[in-house]
Amino acid sequence: MDTHLKFTDIKTEGRQKSHRRDDFEAFEFTYKSEITNIHQLTEMENLYRIQILDPEERKRFTFQPGQFLMLELPGIGEAPFSISSPPSRHGDVELCIRKAGNLTNFLAKISRGTHVGIRGPFGTNFPMEKMHSQNIFLIAGGLGLAPLRSAIAYAQDNRSRFNNVEIIYGAKDPSQLLFTYQYDTWQADDINLNIIVEKTDPSWKGPVGLITKILEEIFSKKDDDFFKNTYAIVCGPPVMFKFVCNMLGQKDIPMQKMFVSLERRMHCGMGKCCRCNVGSTYTCLKGPVFDYWSVMNLKEAI
Amino acid sequence: MIFKVFDKKELKKLFDVLSSDNSIVGPVEIGADRNDQPIYAFSLVSDFNNIKLNYSTTKLPAKKFFLPFKEDLATFTIKEHGWQKNVDYNIDRPYIFFGLHACDINALNKLDKVLMGSTYPMPYYAAKRKNMFIVGIDCAPQPYCFCRSMGSDTVLHGFDMFLTDIGEEYFAEILSDTAYNFLKKINTRDPVEADHFLYMKSVSEKNKKFTAHVDTTDLTKILDMEFQSEVWKHWGQQCLACGTCSNVCPTCYCYGVEETVDINLKSARKTKSLYSCNLIDFAEVAGGHNFRPEQHIRLKYRYYHKHRGFVEAYEESLCVGCGRCGESCLAGIRVPEVIASVRRQED
Amino acid sequence: MAGDKAAKTYLGVPLFRPKVAFFELSSCEGCQLQIVNNEATLIDFFSLVEVVNFREAMTERSDNYDIAFVEGSITRSDERERLKKIRANAKILVALGSCACFGGVNQLKNRFDQAWVKNEVYGNFPVETEAARPLEDVVKVDLNIFGCPVKKEEVEKIVINLALGKAIVHPKYPVCMECKANENICLFDLGEPCLGPVTRGGCDSWCPNSKFGCWGCRGPAEDANIEQMKFIMKEYGFSEEVMLDRLECFGGFKTYAEEFRKSLPTVVTPSRKLFGTPPLKIRGGRGSYDSGEKDK
Repeated sequence: MDTHLKFTDIKTEGRQKSHRRDDFEAFEFTYKSEITNIHQLTEMENLYRIQILDPEERKRFTFQPGQFLMLELPGIGEAPFSISSPPSRHGDVELCIRKAGNLTNFLAKISRGTHVGIRGPFGTNFPMEKMHSQNIFLIAGGLGLAPLRSAIAYAQDNRSRFNNVEIIYGAKDPSQLLFTYQYDTWQADDINLNIIVEKTDPSWKGPVGLITKILEEIFSKKDDDFFKNTYAIVCGPPVMFKFVCNMLGQKDIPMQKMFVSLERRMHCGMGKCCRCNVGSTYTCLKGPVFDYWSVMNLKEAI
Repeated sequence: MIFKVFDKKELKKLFDVLSSDNSIVGPVEIGADRNDQPIYAFSLVSDFNNIKLNYSTTKLPAKKFFLPFKEDLATFTIKEHGWQKNVDYNIDRPYIFFGLHACDINALNKLDKVLMGSTYPMPYYAAKRKNMFIVGIDCAPQPYCFCRSMGSDTVLHGFDMFLTDIGEEYFAEILSDTAYNFLKKINTRDPVEADHFLYMKSVSEKNKKFTAHVDTTDLTKILDMEFQSEVWKHWGQQCLACGTCSNVCPTCYCYGVEETVDINLKSARKTKSLYSCNLIDFAEVAGGHNFRPEQHIRLKYRYYHKHRGFVEAYEESLCVGCGRCGESCLAGIRVPEVIASVRRQED
Repeated sequence: MAGDKAAKTYLGVPLFRPKVAFFELSSCEGCQLQIVNNEATLIDFFSLVEVVNFREAMTERSDNYDIAFVEGSITRSDERERLKKIRANAKILVALGSCACFGGVNQLKNRFDQAWVKNEVYGNFPVETEAARPLEDVVKVDLNIFGCPVKKEEVEKIVINLALGKAIVHPKYPVCMECKANENICLFDLGEPCLGPVTRGGCDSWCPNSKFGCWGCRGPAEDANIEQMKFIMKEYGFSEEVMLDRLECFGGFKTYAEEFRKSLPTVVTPSRKLFGTPPLKIRGGRGSYDSGEKDK
């Protein structure tokens, strides 16, 4: 008998490679993609349109609002970003990215046509289908509008399936408002848009203050029945969603009908590196979208 | 389960048969400490005489063979207007692990759950794990061993063969046909009733020797209740935030990923390095915000992950009670004492 | 020097190819030697930058540079003036090595009576010198590269990152992290003192790899737990002087060391021994240490 142990090669050469979560290859599988356009939104944020190069792969790439992907620039870095584009556009995604670190600063310098890698989609999503035939509050603070934009697009594409749709959006000052060029189309699709800024400037005609102020105003115009049939999605800094969710709670919206998106720094996106853990929960697997009840049960979430 | 018994002298024969064709990793002595006690490490070994099967515990687990401190997840070939990604799982042959203790095999089984489960199995680990042939061996509990409290003093699976010393002979449990076939190379016999008694005697004597214990009753709930407990600050104050506990831990798998461009600018790499949740920037994000800015919070998180989060996910702790972290911690932070303090069981 | 073949872009983004100059103040020039001491990557290194001033490697000189790498500490008034001029010329001033970052081994003399020091060193040929100081005491420093000497791999990485416009980030964790990765036996287990648990990593545990305890040349790790370190040293039977000698050796732990000295029951003043051999000695080999007992 041979005493030489056989080498087990887990690489399955030749098989169609794809992003399937139970495949070994999925772990480091990268969709080769191209930056097809860069749109400057503010001084700090750009919107990147990124297209998966292979047309088949592009079609097969599906995601839900609230999910994120990992964007990679070889040698520069890889980081998680919420997908900002409509799910109906598949692997022709848009990411709203703020200059904050090595990767994002380098991204701000690249030009159209650059090849990047994307992995994903990862994580949980806003359960849009559950919200059908209900009112939805889409509440965003600052960069929180980035993940929310995908849910807004879903609501536009499926407008008949929702009742009242309210966007409530707060920014530091008017110059930091994102996606200003889309406000008209949102409103044209019968979506109420409520914007408030903390610090005003001469160009600003709208309300000034914190997001809670605008919420109070909207609340005062709705009756109790409205809130019985309402879901809320809240995206923004933890201090904001804590206040907002408490206010929604006072209107008897159950915590399981409020959804928040937590931001952490994933290194893998696949429940391995532990860098995004909150308490001992993987934000990349159990999140980034959590219902508020789950967030309340997470240590160190807020 | 198939059992065999063989004379201790036969083990060298088995080793020699295996080593002629394979790479073998085993416990060896690498020096002596200041109290003249031997220091052991897992290392490639080709001579049976260099293997110390009666070793106490190695300073480091055999982790470098299946979870190296540093490895490239991918390399890139950079061209003028594009790049090519090359993925390699960094293993080219099987390894025989000769003489792993139950705790270390249990550690592998725990790692299997998170790194080889159905959700994004990690090929870098899996490729190495699937090429491990494991010969386990029984051990004598050391003063710092609390594996019995963690249910890791015996191991049910995850190895090919497990040897228990029953005096003149080894009592072997055989779990794989490969191991069964290897044993045909040496003289073995089927165990008889007397061997069973010897085995049970050996086991019960081992059990009497444990001195360190951890009370795990209701631990997940208690850790939750005591999240704000002052005891964490006590331990946090002593912690050096050096990451040693994670590095010597057979189950710590957390890591960081860094991408670097090679100096010729023609290639780049994506490197995974094991990291420790006790290090100051473990939970730091782009822009500088640190979700765990204080040491006691980071230390607490480590206990949380090991003794609560993993239990919730897999109904078992991510600690095997090998005691390495406590032994290597210069500040003397030991799991049994930390948990006892959280439970207010200080004596 | 070299360089015309240099890649101009990375992923389409133009690279910064800085003009760099190397200077030395009071130092052994060992850090600069580290940089040229790497034939395998030297060509690539010099194609990333345009060296206009490097006494150890070339004869040409120029005052037109973007980055100045300055090695050494300041121990004379003319060095102060020279450094100010370098600062005025450079867009980025880099303190290269522990002498430039903390004063380095040179600052050990600050503990003693300066007249005595001068006499010991120069005897009948006195030179005007002052207390050894780090660069940042005199000019603004943009980037520190720690180490005695600096680690060439780290310098290379920093230069690559400068070219790419990536942020330069030093490890925040202590040396232990890398020491364990290198599978070293803990020096405390071997009965040797070591500052690894409180010293900034990034050196790949250079000294402990050779069973030589850390002397803290890279300064403190972020949030270093000095108090616990004192306790550990004591536990392992090392005197406060053993730890202080290490804390004081390179100047990186200056504030901790000063406080530590002050907290000792018998205050040891820097000029405590004006005659004979000063009490502190660092020699090669296994952390050999001379407490100066023979003077008592």
